[in-house]
Amino acid sequence: MNVKFLTLVAGTLALFAVSMPLAAHHGNVAYDEQHPTTITGNVTEFVWSNPHCQIYLDVKDDKGNVVAWSVESQSPGILKRNGWTRDSIKVGDHIAITLVPAKSGAPVGFSGEKTGKIVFDDGHVLKMDQR
Amino acid sequence: MRMRFVAPILTALALLAVAFAASTAASAQTKIASNSAAPAPKRDISGVWLLQGAGGSEGIAPDKDMPPMTPWAQARFDTEKPGYGPRAIPAGNDPILQCDPSGFPRLMFFPTPFEFVQTPAKIVQFFEREHAWRPIWTDGRPLPTDPDPTWYGYAIGHWEGDYTLVVESSGFNDKTWLGATGYPHSDEMRVTERYQRMDHDTIVYNIRVDDPKAYTKPIVAPQRIMKLRPGVELSELPCVWSEENSFTKRIREPAVRGPGK
Repeated sequence: MNVKFLTLVAGTLALFAVSMPLAAHHGNVAYDEQHPTTITGNVTEFVWSNPHCQIYLDVKDDKGNVVAWSVESQSPGILKRNGWTRDSIKVGDHIAITLVPAKSGAPVGFSGEKTGKIVFDDGHVLKMDQR
Repeated sequence: MRMRFVAPILTALALLAVAFAASTAASAQTKIASNSAAPAPKRDISGVWLLQGAGGSEGIAPDKDMPPMTPWAQARFDTEKPGYGPRAIPAGNDPILQCDPSGFPRLMFFPTPFEFVQTPAKIVQFFEREHAWRPIWTDGRPLPTDPDPTWYGYAIGHWEGDYTLVVESSGFNDKTWLGATGYPHSDEMRVTERYQRMDHDTIVYNIRVDDPKAYTKPIVAPQRIMKLRPGVELSELPCVWSEENSFTKRIREPAVRGPGK
């Protein structure tokens, strides 16, 4: 009986541990920094906020299915120093964004530092390599 | 009749001359500001500076350079679960994940700009990260003998020669880590910093921590470089709980959960 109870407690704790958010601040442990990639799609939302600005976009995968991607970039302060404003990306913009993807395979990425870059259809580029 | 044409032309020419002079002066200033070989001004450290660092993932010193801990510090160290360094694990207990201040000296190890503003009695350090500030008293007062504990401590400074600002601080609480890789300190910690302005654009930064309650020898951090960022205005990067929560729910958690979950 006691053993069963302990197993239940241990199991519950293990589940909690697995479902807890990644604690590493600003997430670098979560991303596969060795394999930057570029995705292309239509922006559905742009969040200008600390700790990191966020870009949400619909991307067609190899099979033609639309996948909703979530991308974090840098803080507004850093992006400002790279020439961004809160209006630099608008809903409906068609962009190509270079990022490091989540190791888990989730459609989540980090676009910042040296590898991060956003290219618009008209050729203009948003960078984020200046701190 | 003629004068009616001549006057506006003269005015336009005068305006052009003024504009040209101003732009030449501005570009000359820019040149000086971005010329790292230019000599440093004397007893002046004002300006916006940026640590040339590794993106917030730094400890105060590499593990191999950390002195032995006392049993008191070791017990604390064993409970730390940092997100960076050799002990990094997901789902750790870094205090800044709860929006606790990084405090001092950890705040120095982020590559986010800070600004020195000099006044006759003190030099104030303003940090974009945490939207924090730290007065460094330069009016000759001593450190308080029995300070109340604070996140950022109490600091006094003096010039050693014309180019090195030496800052001593104490009066810290013991709630912060020394860096992203963890390592505790006690409320008896005393910190000595040396900001040596090598040239116009460069500070060589040395920091030493004396904390006999936590370490058997002083921590002598490796030399770091800070660069002047002419023209940069500080923005704000406070830890705001609602923003952190939203970011965790929309980015941190989905990134770790995996596809389709």
